[in-house]
Amino acid sequence: MLKTTLAGLAAHKLRLLLTGIAITLGVGFIAGTFVLTDTMQNGIDTRFARSADKVDAAVVAKKGAAQGEIPVDLLGRIRALPGVTDAQGMVRGDAALVGKDGKVVGDFSTVGLSVPSGRLLRYDFKQGKAPAGPGEAVVDDKTAKRQGFKVGDTVTVFDQKVRPHRFRLSGIADFGIDQDAGYRGAVGFDPATALAMTGQKTYEEIDVAGGGLGEITKVAGGGFDVVTGKQLGERLAKSAGADMQVIRTGLLLFGLVSLLVSALVIYNTFTILIAQRMREMALLRCVGATRRQIFNGVLAESVVVGIVGSLLGLVVGAGLGGGALVLINWLGADMPSEGLAFAPRTAVIGMVVGVLVTVVSALLPARAATRVAPIAALRADLEPGSGRFRLGWARTTLTVLLGGLGVLAALYGSLGMEKGETAMYLVALSGGLIFLAVIALMPALVRPLGGLAGVIPARLGGVPGRLAVENARRSPRRTATTTIALTIGVGLMSLFAVVAASGKATSSAQLEKQFPVDFQLETHVGDEQKPVPGALVGELRKLPQLSAVTIMREQEVRVGDSDSHVGSVTQSSLGTVVKPQFKGGSVADLRPGTVAADENVAKSRGMRVGQTVRVATPHGAVPLKLVATVSGDTPLPTFLMTESDFTRYFGAKDPEAVYLNAKDGQSDQARAAIENATKPYPAIKLTSAADIKAQYTKALDMVLMIFGGLLGLAIIIALFGIANTLTLSVVERTRESALLRALGITKRQLRRMLSVEALVMAVIGAFTGVALGVVFGWAITNAMSKTSVFSLPYLQIVGFMVLAGAAGMAAAVLPARRAAKASIVESLASD
Amino acid sequence: MTSTYTGPPAGTATAVPAVVATEVTKVYGSGDAAVHALRGVSVGFARGAFTAIMGPSGSGKSTLMHCLAGLDTVSGGQVRLGDAEITRLSDKQLTLLRRDRVGFVFQAFNLLPTLSAEQNILLPLELAGRRPDRQWFDQVVDVVGLRDRLSHRPNELSGGQQQRVACARALVSQPEVIFADEPTGNLDSRSGAEVLSFLRSSVREMGQTIVMVTHDPVAASYADRVVFLRDGQIVTEIDQPTPATVLDVLKSLGG
Repeated sequence: MLKTTLAGLAAHKLRLLLTGIAITLGVGFIAGTFVLTDTMQNGIDTRFARSADKVDAAVVAKKGAAQGEIPVDLLGRIRALPGVTDAQGMVRGDAALVGKDGKVVGDFSTVGLSVPSGRLLRYDFKQGKAPAGPGEAVVDDKTAKRQGFKVGDTVTVFDQKVRPHRFRLSGIADFGIDQDAGYRGAVGFDPATALAMTGQKTYEEIDVAGGGLGEITKVAGGGFDVVTGKQLGERLAKSAGADMQVIRTGLLLFGLVSLLVSALVIYNTFTILIAQRMREMALLRCVGATRRQIFNGVLAESVVVGIVGSLLGLVVGAGLGGGALVLINWLGADMPSEGLAFAPRTAVIGMVVGVLVTVVSALLPARAATRVAPIAALRADLEPGSGRFRLGWARTTLTVLLGGLGVLAALYGSLGMEKGETAMYLVALSGGLIFLAVIALMPALVRPLGGLAGVIPARLGGVPGRLAVENARRSPRRTATTTIALTIGVGLMSLFAVVAASGKATSSAQLEKQFPVDFQLETHVGDEQKPVPGALVGELRKLPQLSAVTIMREQEVRVGDSDSHVGSVTQSSLGTVVKPQFKGGSVADLRPGTVAADENVAKSRGMRVGQTVRVATPHGAVPLKLVATVSGDTPLPTFLMTESDFTRYFGAKDPEAVYLNAKDGQSDQARAAIENATKPYPAIKLTSAADIKAQYTKALDMVLMIFGGLLGLAIIIALFGIANTLTLSVVERTRESALLRALGITKRQLRRMLSVEALVMAVIGAFTGVALGVVFGWAITNAMSKTSVFSLPYLQIVGFMVLAGAAGMAAAVLPARRAAKASIVESLASD
Repeated sequence: MTSTYTGPPAGTATAVPAVVATEVTKVYGSGDAAVHALRGVSVGFARGAFTAIMGPSGSGKSTLMHCLAGLDTVSGGQVRLGDAEITRLSDKQLTLLRRDRVGFVFQAFNLLPTLSAEQNILLPLELAGRRPDRQWFDQVVDVVGLRDRLSHRPNELSGGQQQRVACARALVSQPEVIFADEPTGNLDSRSGAEVLSFLRSSVREMGQTIVMVTHDPVAASYADRVVFLRDGQIVTEIDQPTPATVLDVLKSLGG
């Protein structure tokens, strides 16, 4: 039996390849993920190991602690230890570098780091050398390139009190795999200067050369871990590798989606193959093969297909991993690579997963093969596809049960439940249930959906068009499985598109409604907001292009029994320029002696409107009446009081943020005027609402594009599924095509027929996917929060449909060519 | 059958042949493996006549029909269908010729399973973009007796009914020639007789031209003339055949 199977496979290499290609791509994705992440991890490990080589011992934060917070005086005590030749404290904080345009570099201030000279220097220098004293600094190579800084230039950096300091650039450094520094840019100083510039009071880490681990541990006390250089390297690599784990898990999730699609395609291909080889099976049964042998024969075939497909998949995976690495580096990331890492684990997982998925997908078709009666070998062959399909009780029960549950869960999650994560999980779960219900129901949907999708081709394509639409609808099960494979990819794509579009709409809707300002000014030197100089506010108030200047002042104080931000905004703007949503009271209720609280904070602290809140001020605790809660979608302080109260309790402070509105139609002039006014203040960062929106849109589009790329493979596999089904259908319909050719269909019309059939299948799949994606996008958006706004990205959705249709037609090219090539006379004679 | 047989109407079989083959040869393969299916066949088929092609298995009768109908290419010689020399036409021109001027009835698998009987009958006309002549359609449908089966799909029809649908399809477009390849090969004798008699009546009453390949002497006896083939060559022919005369010739041919 095994010999028969193998001989059969060898005789049908194309068939083997067609079946295997789905698994090749699925396994390729999984293997590629491992290859990519292993390669990146290897690079990181090597680099950290190399930099940690120079360290004999290091004092670091206890495992699990977020930050080092190692007291500065410990350094002196370690230096005094016998045998210690050098010890350096590592500093990390914010230090805002001023660019060539006179403004602070980047959207976030640059990172400030310590760069020790001597043996413990762990960074590589592209040019120059480490800073030799308080008058020198280094910058990272990317920032240097972008800003055009060269060694020897003078740069300005703000300290944490927004005082400018000037340094001579002694070098341009590669700070290595430091995500923060890579993203924001970094400035390095000698350790003492770094402490001064970043305002840090403690070290992140102390690196030691020489000395004994035991003595250092004794000096350091129990609050910190003391590790060897090797351990330090491992720790650093691990913390960088944590991201790698997230990346790997994320990629593997998409890999699973691809594998699911592969499984569907393989299941379908095997089912069709079995149906077509009914004669062969029956003949085997006639000559004495048992059901068990037939079953095993089909399974053996699937094992061979799985092995061949997975082996090819490993090769594809290595290619995909390498390609992704090249792409990532080309996109600007500096991923170190020590050659592609192809771990034995990758091969084992790839093979096991690939063969398992193939065999499991072939189980049902194999069982169907055993039901072929020996007599079928002698019967005249049945014409494939009657075009009719009745939902059996099993499918009906599944559809009703899963669908009903899913719809209830989705409705409850999106409309009934309290908004938030739990509701979103419920909606996601209901999405899974409904998708399963759709799988069960799909064969019954093929005829109506096919008719719908075929309306235009049947109208425009004449007889071939109508025949093609009929062909797509004639084997509902087959078409259903073929199209479902496409539904998965397109559905997830549409879901992401809808959620992204809704996210965009939500964010801008709330801000536009409650906080409609055109520009925002902030001081930009680090994590904490620094005040905007009052003198600048005065100048801005004089600008004729502006219609309103709103200032927000804040102070962190104790409110009740925990620390909170208390603040005020310009009284005349409240309710006119900025319109926060008050609940339980109105803007007019906010009078001296009262306070309004952020809705979420009030809720979590159990505060109710009407109660008294005690606010600690320099003049002692003040009781204020809580008159309203404020919706938390704006940058307002947690506790909002009147401007006069704020000034009374905290003095005439400079504002933390200034919001500006331009006069109608004078946006550009206003911007120019503001830029002019802020020129003497390099640390002031001007952002416009339009900028923020554009940035947010760009970020979301980027994420969507990455998801699209990752789901692309699942969609490609589904297209191979369409090509597979068509190829097999073409074989099945050899005589039918010959008859049509005899009756006067041209080769071109025959080819077009298959294209239209593929188009109809692709549109059925894509339409189902888009429908599911949009509905669940709506449900998830609704479940997310009360203020979310649903937005339908029409263009994208239409784009998905058009692309799917076009890709489906492309998938038909080869099968169509094959069909058109067949000789009429020979095809008529074949049976 | 309701149609009455009134004998051959005068003047239907004209002297101008509908299809003429001149020195047609057909070789499959090459070198030692070459099979000479047709070795210089010259024959004409009269317009308005019902001609049968007979011969033992492997005599080349089906190949001849395929070449005459433009389904297969010839290796040498020429075939004319009306005013067209079909041996010089491209695949596309051949396709259009078949669509517009030729009708087919095959032994089996004549119908598209996805189309109803009516759609199958009208298929060639629709492919050509011609509007069916409703009156003619009704007449043909009534002649083949399919009025109450028009909306059925092929798998809901018996073998004889399917073959009658195929005949109706061939007739409805009023082609210059209908080629029938063993049209009764898969039918029981009663259904076979039905199909043959209205093929004959379509010649007698509607002036249709039919060329039929068969190996059944009874089927051949419905034709006006039988052409015999052996080893790729025409060996003899008889007019106004009966099953007995056909059988005699076949015996003499050793088939």
